[in-house]
Amino acid sequence: MKQIKTAILTIAAALTLSSCNYNGMVEREEAVSQAWSNVENQYQRRADLIPNLVNTVKGYAAHEQETLTQVIEARSKATSINIDAENLTPETLKAYQKAQGEIGSALGRLIALGEAYPDLKANENFKELQAQLEGTENRIAVERRNFNDATRSYNTYLRKFPRNILSNIYGFDTKPYFEAEEGTHNAPKVEF
Amino acid sequence: MKVIARHIIMTIGLCILTLPLWSKVYTPTTIPMVHLEDRTRYTCNPDGILSSAAVSTMDSIFYALEQQTGIQTIVAVVGEIDPTDCFEFAHALFAAQGVGQQGKDNGLVVLLSTEERCIQFVIGYGLEGSLPDAICKRIQSKYMVHLLGDERWDEAMVAGSRALYNHLMGDPTLINEERQEADEDRQALIGFMVFMVAAILIFVVIVYIAIRKQSQCPKCKQHTLKRSGSMTIMRTNSLRRDQVTFTCTHCGHNVYRIEDHHLGGGGVGGGPIIGGGGRSFGGGSFGGSFGGGRSGGGGAGSRF
Repeated sequence: MKQIKTAILTIAAALTLSSCNYNGMVEREEAVSQAWSNVENQYQRRADLIPNLVNTVKGYAAHEQETLTQVIEARSKATSINIDAENLTPETLKAYQKAQGEIGSALGRLIALGEAYPDLKANENFKELQAQLEGTENRIAVERRNFNDATRSYNTYLRKFPRNILSNIYGFDTKPYFEAEEGTHNAPKVEF
Repeated sequence: MKVIARHIIMTIGLCILTLPLWSKVYTPTTIPMVHLEDRTRYTCNPDGILSSAAVSTMDSIFYALEQQTGIQTIVAVVGEIDPTDCFEFAHALFAAQGVGQQGKDNGLVVLLSTEERCIQFVIGYGLEGSLPDAICKRIQSKYMVHLLGDERWDEAMVAGSRALYNHLMGDPTLINEERQEADEDRQALIGFMVFMVAAILIFVVIVYIAIRKQSQCPKCKQHTLKRSGSMTIMRTNSLRRDQVTFTCTHCGHNVYRIEDHHLGGGGVGGGPIIGGGGRSFGGGSFGGSFGGGRSGGGGAGSRF
């Protein structure tokens, strides 16, 4: 009698698992983790360019101390925030994005110094770093988009019936998206 | 009646006037992909901005590149684009076509928009190592931007394509130009000097041996033969043949040698040259395909 009960339970469990496709959830969650680590890699790549860039600029515009410190501070602040794909919540992602956004705007000011110092602008090293920085920003944009795509696929999968009922029991939560950067809404003011 | 006719004429006139405004705005999916029709072609030039000569030159460059390295390229030369951001557009084009081999992700997109005035390279994940951003930028600023600024599209695109090809085929010129040049110069100089010294040594040795041999007496084997007299034995318009007497100072043995002296006059040179004719078969081309490569957004762009 007990054996039959176990057998029935096993079959039932197997059926539920396959109908809800537990493995599908795992796969999609893994895809999100992968996409997230790509995003982090690209941000890290940008952070790694900063010391070189700061040193190059220092040689030409040493008295722009404020801009230089801002970049370094923003960098150390942002690199201290590391989020596991497991702990991605709207709040943590927002904090991460804010810190990275600060690096972005500080770097923007640093690069803009090139306009004020023609020698700096003509410096080969500076040009090279600028090219790398542009490339990295592009890569960040691409990886963020990939992350959002992976997350969208995962979230949609979780929220469909009947998986929406069981996903909570299995411990799968929806994940947040990258939002457009704060500050990109306000177009930069150009003054003459 | 007259009024209607005038209206019609005015409308047609307006249409003709605004025709240039209707020139096509391309999106990443509406650019006609010539490679899909003919696998030897890579340059999409729907607006005819480049000359056909430039297009075929670039096609042959990128065909060679794909044959030798497997790297697939799309070159798109267009006027207006949507989205207007060059990187966005080029990356979307990359993703839409999946240029490059799957798994290797060795695709390359080169975009020139004459309206947005930008040149953009986008590379697949697989080319990040061999074609880093800084090299892309260097190719653009060294070979392309100044020409593009003067609207010399053909020259700029061909020069850029050559530079890309050379770099991807392992030409290290762009990697470290200055050091490279200095090293090359020094190496060339050293090589030349070694060659010269060796050539001089060999020449001296040959001359020495020849002289030693000439002065050797066949009888006593001493190098003591001295020229003691000569006598002309034959003379034509172009040739004087002398018999020269050498006497050995050691044993007194006499040696007679014949010496010919050519006396001016030209010769008749050159045999018939027979050229061989070859025959080649031109093959028809079939459409190509892109393998589904992916890009992480590497590459570089410049404005002009």
